[in-house]
Amino acid sequence: MHTPAESRTAPRWIFWLLPILALAIPLATNPYTQFIINAMLIYTLVTLGFSVVIGNLGQLAFANTAFFGIGAYASAMAGNALGLPWLLTVPLAGLAGAAGGFLASAAALRGIRLYYLAIVTLAFGELMRWFYTHAGALTGGTDGLALDRGDIFGLQLNSDTVQFYIFLLLTTLLVAGTVNLLRSRLGRAIVAVRENEIATASLGIATSRIIVTAFVWSGFVVGIAGAMFALHTGRVFPESFGLTQLIINFAMVLVGGLGSVIGAVLGAVALTALPEYVRAFPGMEEIFFGVIVMVVLLVMPKGLASLLRRVSPIFHETHHRD
Amino acid sequence: MLMQLSIAGISQGAIYALIALSLTVIYRSTTIVSFGHGDFVMAGAFLAYILVIGLGFAFLPAGLLAIAAMFAIGIVFSRGLIRPIRGGPHIGLALMSISFGFALRGIARLVWGREVLPMPRVFDVDPIFVGSIIITGDAIFTIGIVAVLLAAFFILLHLTDIGKMVQAVYQSERGARLIGIDVSRFHDFSWGTGAALGAVGGVLIAPVSFLHPDLGASFLIKGFAAMTLGGFGSLGGSVIGGLLLGLAEQYAGAYLNTALIDITAYLLIILVLLIRPRGLFGRKVVIKV
Repeated sequence: MHTPAESRTAPRWIFWLLPILALAIPLATNPYTQFIINAMLIYTLVTLGFSVVIGNLGQLAFANTAFFGIGAYASAMAGNALGLPWLLTVPLAGLAGAAGGFLASAAALRGIRLYYLAIVTLAFGELMRWFYTHAGALTGGTDGLALDRGDIFGLQLNSDTVQFYIFLLLTTLLVAGTVNLLRSRLGRAIVAVRENEIATASLGIATSRIIVTAFVWSGFVVGIAGAMFALHTGRVFPESFGLTQLIINFAMVLVGGLGSVIGAVLGAVALTALPEYVRAFPGMEEIFFGVIVMVVLLVMPKGLASLLRRVSPIFHETHHRD
Repeated sequence: MLMQLSIAGISQGAIYALIALSLTVIYRSTTIVSFGHGDFVMAGAFLAYILVIGLGFAFLPAGLLAIAAMFAIGIVFSRGLIRPIRGGPHIGLALMSISFGFALRGIARLVWGREVLPMPRVFDVDPIFVGSIIITGDAIFTIGIVAVLLAAFFILLHLTDIGKMVQAVYQSERGARLIGIDVSRFHDFSWGTGAALGAVGGVLIAPVSFLHPDLGASFLIKGFAAMTLGGFGSLGGSVIGGLLLGLAEQYAGAYLNTALIDITAYLLIILVLLIRPRGLFGRKVVIKV
């Protein structure tokens, strides 16, 4: 069927130009800017995974930093304990994150919603952080776990440029995968659960399966981002996955636009670059993120993506009314 | 040993009860969970600290001023930041309180840097010995002040018109509006009261613990645990939940492992929500399709 919405979003292949153009980025960067750009790719996935659960599925689940940490630690631990090369730890990190997503969805399936879900997932994240700190030999405690980056087909993985191309590939694949997921019947069911769960169930859709799928996909994407983060920083600490990380993730989702894939990219890029300037004083970063979230909530609740949608209809992502 | 632990548990639990109560006050009257509440507690403690150490106030007026200031901040927050998005999705409301608290924490860190600040002891009286049990001055004062506050609060809620108003808005916001209650102002007032009660907790912990900008986070989780255990929205439940959490922490720390003190609250939240989501005294909350 050729709906108006379909024709508006027709030239979607244009978006494939973005990663292709991005291939040239390392030509124009110094190590520092390349490092930041790599972080943008990681945070794109973190934001995207988070947005699927809180934006598309509409669940108040705060376990995103838990998925991120689980992925990062899974990658570092598999590399250290099993001696796996980093690339092979990536799918492991994704699966570990997906398992975390499954656990979080179990809470949602128990009928725990809204604030209860927020609190129980917050506790889940803090519990994971306690585990990283106290599981000494396994996780390195508060000192964290150093990564032996190694190489891949002879290319040194501690090179920011090599990392960039790997991250670009992973991010592109996962973003495309998420777009396809959200555009499928399943994706519309995810949004339907957000809008009215009981009505969705009455249409014969197994809502519990939808909720589990969204959480597991979110955990998978964010878990892989965790493995990328471990490679990027070379060492994972418990403190990287605390409440500060959570609010940064929130700010990225919100600034970009809740439940929007384009928004996830925009939010991650904008907020990874900006705070570099406010890190000079202790506390400035927190004030910055706090104030940004408050301002966005008040004046632009649909985020940067909503501005783009005004510019051109090609940025419309949905086949339903917002 | 058991008695000694119980006294420590109740003294700590009294603070948790206070924080859980302050969260419940806001939740019951506005149906919003104040995710930035830990930072209200922190801000209360810090304001008291500035007044005592920086400006040379005595502890009592400093504490009262800090509590009044947090009452005002709660009202301003409700009026300026919550009211404009009140009709919006829950996620926005939750985020607003998180980010406001986050900004407060940033301000505290900007002013104090990364130091950990000790405040001189206030309740510096000799401990009382009852048989072999030692009861410290801190414990007596904390438990005493919290008990008086709770009593005043329950009288206010059960024997006055304000209590009836709270009940009316809780049952039906629209109905309350129809009988002439200014619900928006009532919400502002509730946020103020919640923030002030949280600040009482902060003022009470200031002299007996080290102050740092991140201290709110753990109290927030403990407040949640107490609330969850007692049953969301139940005022009496939140107090009992707080006391039980204080006791559980002490027992788990002494009889099992000291590292468990930190995560008793998390485990309690997860266990209660998975086994009996309504807590001890709450109403049924589970959504079933």
